[in-house]
Amino acid sequence: MKVPVSWLKEFVDTGLSAEKLAERLALTGTEVERISHAGLPADGGNLDRFVIGQVKSRAPHPDADRLSLCEVDLGGGRSEQIVCGAKNFQAGDKAAVCLPGGMLPGRPEPLRAAKIRGVESHGMMCSEAELGLSGESAGIMILPEDAPVGARLVDHLPLSDDVLELEITPNRPDCLSMYGVAREVAAVTGAPLAPEPVADAAPRGDDTIGELVSVSVADERLCPRYGARLIAGVSVAESPAWLKARITAAGMRPVNNVVDITNYVMWTLGQPMHAFDLARIAGRQLAVRRAARGEKIITIDGSERRLTPDMLVIADAEGPVAIAGIMGGEASEVSAATTDILLEAANFNGRSVMETSMALGLRSESSTRFEKGLDQELAPKALAMAARLMVEITGGRLVPGEIDIQARPFMPAAVRLRPGRVEALLGIRVPDEEIKSILTRLGFGVREKEGELLVTIPSYRADVEREVDVIEEIARVFGLGLIPPTLPSDMRVLGGLSPEQQARRSVARALVERGLTEVISYSFIAPDFGDRLRLDADDGRREVVALANPLSVEQSVMRTMMLPSLLTTLAANLSLQNQDVNIFELGRIYRPAAGEDLCDERRLIAGCLSGSLQGHSWMTGGGTAGFFTGKGMVEAIFASIAGDFTVERASEPFLHPGKSAAIVAGGRQAGYVGEVHPLVLEAFDIDTPVVAFEILEQELLASGAGIIVFEDLITYPASFQDLAVVVEVDRPADEIIGVISDAGAPLLKSVRVFDIFTGEQIGAGKKSVALSLEFRSPERTLTDEDVAAARASIVTALAEKLGASLRA
Amino acid sequence: MNDDLKEQLKAHAGLAALYEQAVAEIGQAATSAELEEARVRHLGRKSGLSQLLRSIPELPAEERPVVGKYGNRARTALEQALAARKHELEAGELTRRLAAEQADITLPGEPFPRGHLHLITQTQWEIEDFFAGLGYRIAEGPEVETSYYNFTALNTPEGHPARSLHDTFFIQDKPDVLLRTHTSPVQIRVMEKEDPPVYVIIPGRVYRRDSDATHTPMFHQVEGLAVDEHITMADLKGTLEAFAKHMFGAGREIRLRPHYFPFTEPSVEVDVSCMICGGAGCRSCKHSGWLEILGAGMVDPNVFGFVDYEPDEVTGFAFGMGVERIAMLKHGITDLRMFYDNDMRFINQF
Repeated sequence: MKVPVSWLKEFVDTGLSAEKLAERLALTGTEVERISHAGLPADGGNLDRFVIGQVKSRAPHPDADRLSLCEVDLGGGRSEQIVCGAKNFQAGDKAAVCLPGGMLPGRPEPLRAAKIRGVESHGMMCSEAELGLSGESAGIMILPEDAPVGARLVDHLPLSDDVLELEITPNRPDCLSMYGVAREVAAVTGAPLAPEPVADAAPRGDDTIGELVSVSVADERLCPRYGARLIAGVSVAESPAWLKARITAAGMRPVNNVVDITNYVMWTLGQPMHAFDLARIAGRQLAVRRAARGEKIITIDGSERRLTPDMLVIADAEGPVAIAGIMGGEASEVSAATTDILLEAANFNGRSVMETSMALGLRSESSTRFEKGLDQELAPKALAMAARLMVEITGGRLVPGEIDIQARPFMPAAVRLRPGRVEALLGIRVPDEEIKSILTRLGFGVREKEGELLVTIPSYRADVEREVDVIEEIARVFGLGLIPPTLPSDMRVLGGLSPEQQARRSVARALVERGLTEVISYSFIAPDFGDRLRLDADDGRREVVALANPLSVEQSVMRTMMLPSLLTTLAANLSLQNQDVNIFELGRIYRPAAGEDLCDERRLIAGCLSGSLQGHSWMTGGGTAGFFTGKGMVEAIFASIAGDFTVERASEPFLHPGKSAAIVAGGRQAGYVGEVHPLVLEAFDIDTPVVAFEILEQELLASGAGIIVFEDLITYPASFQDLAVVVEVDRPADEIIGVISDAGAPLLKSVRVFDIFTGEQIGAGKKSVALSLEFRSPERTLTDEDVAAARASIVTALAEKLGASLRA
Repeated sequence: MNDDLKEQLKAHAGLAALYEQAVAEIGQAATSAELEEARVRHLGRKSGLSQLLRSIPELPAEERPVVGKYGNRARTALEQALAARKHELEAGELTRRLAAEQADITLPGEPFPRGHLHLITQTQWEIEDFFAGLGYRIAEGPEVETSYYNFTALNTPEGHPARSLHDTFFIQDKPDVLLRTHTSPVQIRVMEKEDPPVYVIIPGRVYRRDSDATHTPMFHQVEGLAVDEHITMADLKGTLEAFAKHMFGAGREIRLRPHYFPFTEPSVEVDVSCMICGGAGCRSCKHSGWLEILGAGMVDPNVFGFVDYEPDEVTGFAFGMGVERIAMLKHGITDLRMFYDNDMRFINQF
């Protein structure tokens, strides 16, 4: 909402600078986005260089047919010779003169005194375009006969203004008008407020509006009030300069006097208006009704709009002539030929206007006001103000009578305010007198009743309905800065992170400490991920939660896996030549849940490794990540929460068939780890090996040990034995360890593989697995005999169950 | 003792000569190898001293006690001299060896690369930790949400103008299901499940259908909710002031500006004094001295109505902030989109 300060001053004069006023407004709930300047630049005394002059003589330029040579009276006995190219004036006319040094809007250089075709010119007579009042103009601006010669132009026309650009919150449609803002300014500064500018015009003539046009309202809910006036005999023309200046400063374009007046009234009071050309209303009758199926209208912007039965229209005998509250139709638009106009000021249902506006994709200054819910009492005021301006400016005649159809008269609501409640909510006592003063300045009625206040809500503040709303009004005007800072006392609660939340952080830290960098990617991805990952046609992960209105197809479905996000991020980083991209993400996947509104959201830990985790230096050479790098990272994840897992061969289509594993925790599938299939890498434009993992957080955390119980590893020392076992080359290490563990119980504490060896010495198809065995007892120091016996049963078991021999 | 020994050895010229020569050679040995040669020559089995000691039985009777007594003492003394010289030589050799081992200490150390938490996570944790310290729990909820929780129960009924402020992503074929536009719906879910007092913060991903230099379609919020018997706006102000000082420095101040949100009444926007210019006015704060950091207010009684809390018995405050905005202000980041480009050159700075 653009508020030119001089316009505001017509209703309230605070004596504050624009900056101070902006600050006061900001601290009482009206945000000022910025203070801009409209019209002539105001700094450096520029406004003194624009004066009202009178042409004393006009003669042809001796050397140029198109130019004239003028002597212009500038008042105070001063006159100057000015060369002028315009033709639309004569001696005696009054003009806006820019003196040498004057800065015109949008020009980089000030005006200079100069010789034009050999003749001195000491100024310029300005056109409206040059003063910023209109886009183009045919000649110079001719001022009214009573304009005082020698006076500053800005003292007679609002040509230079600071403009407050306000952000009006949706609960305050009353502030979408100059007078509404003035009322707010008066309330928060204490400055006096001028009365509403709603003086009426005197009707003339023997006819009445009722004889000339009939109006009916078919839908009272969508149109609680419809008012109209008739102005006969108008001359449609350009608006006077002051009106153009106002319209321009408010950020609109002047059109003609009739349209400008309706806009001016809307800007002043907040009531949107429409002017119909009476001659073009078929049957001289208007009906406010819902559109019939299939009806169309060409709006004044030239577009044809298809209407539906939930849209409210104003229709004449032939069909819709306006979409209620949004835009008028081209067919009944005021034109240069118009003589009689029907002025409309109505109250339309906000939600209906909003829905129609959204359905048509058509927003206007009118619809943005209506959709927030307008004051029903505004319509007759706006009609009075507009009628007066029409009579004054267009030379028309106000036809006696008015139309005002209102189903139910407005009844102001009253709210009970318990003074103790103010302190209970705000934490500060506001004196009773202050409360009354604030509410009165805001236009509320206040009456004491049995120790409470009965607050009457004015028609323009429909947003205030309850006690708490009234308290908010008191708080914001009283000053939130006065509220003391305290902390809640007597909090009978326990705070902090839950075990799960702590575990999640442990996992993240474990990965970061091992060199992985966290990324955060969008939860929505491109729908072709299933193809790129080579998922089977019936793979459940292809069933997605899709967005109805995505921004792009690349972000149109909720991810069911994290791998596509990570591979995309990896590829982007590799293309930026970023080295050693090893990343992880903690996020969610989203699967449809049959018969449920919500979907199945699961938290996931996922990672992609593509480079060295050792870094690069003069000491170490880097290297790439392989399956065991990924598995080690998975081990680190489980270790960070004292959890445990086993692996099974995986058959994921997006992984290397031989270098991938399913992760099993607590007997449940918890995810996968593996090298990414080369064809998948190709689909993501990645030309370096990648190992990836995804782990379901729920399964991971379920495997955690919780509280760790102390085990005495100190009193009695352990005994260590190495064993090199020769087995078939494809015998999994897990099986060897399983046999050893069973056979070595209870003294065997741990088994660790420390070397794998194949070669001629071992024999074809065989491998040697070297293991370190740890034996211990919680009760005594083991003897050599104890250990030897355990070792012997291990060796026997290996031979019997796996056909394994000890390496010679 | 050695001087005593010298005197005593004068009693036997041969022994004295052996001793003198051995002492001299041990002293002259310049390397461990020379010292070893000297040891073999003077203390070895074939050395003069060993032979002399072995030959005691054959010596003349008057010599036997002298050689027996002083010969062994000479041997012990030489062993000591040898050990002392050995220690001396080794110390010298070690010093020389170490002196030769000059590392270029200006080369970088062995790398132990560490990754980085995304700045959003770091910021979110910092916010969580502050409120956890005040006694708040961390609550979570679904990101795919119903319009009831996202709007209706937050006092934003269908057709409410505030709904149009949110550009909402909807789920295909489910007109009442959407991606949550704020973390506020979790407020409702928490209050539905638990009776007051409630002190929670709610971090998480949120979504709005907007994408330009200052908007990403996904971002992060932390919502806060305190509902108890005696909560006032002064408590809200004190809590947020402590928060601002924690995040942005002890010298920071806050101010509340009235605002409008459907689910709080009164509603405020909260500014923190500019951490770049200290409040004097600069480009970052548009010369106002203040930077907007969050929205807040007292929980609207209508919201309590939706969760069956009694508005005359409890009051509450709520606040919501954008994690990215906090991080941008704190670290001087100028482009929101960098958070989601996931470029290692950005993430690894923090």
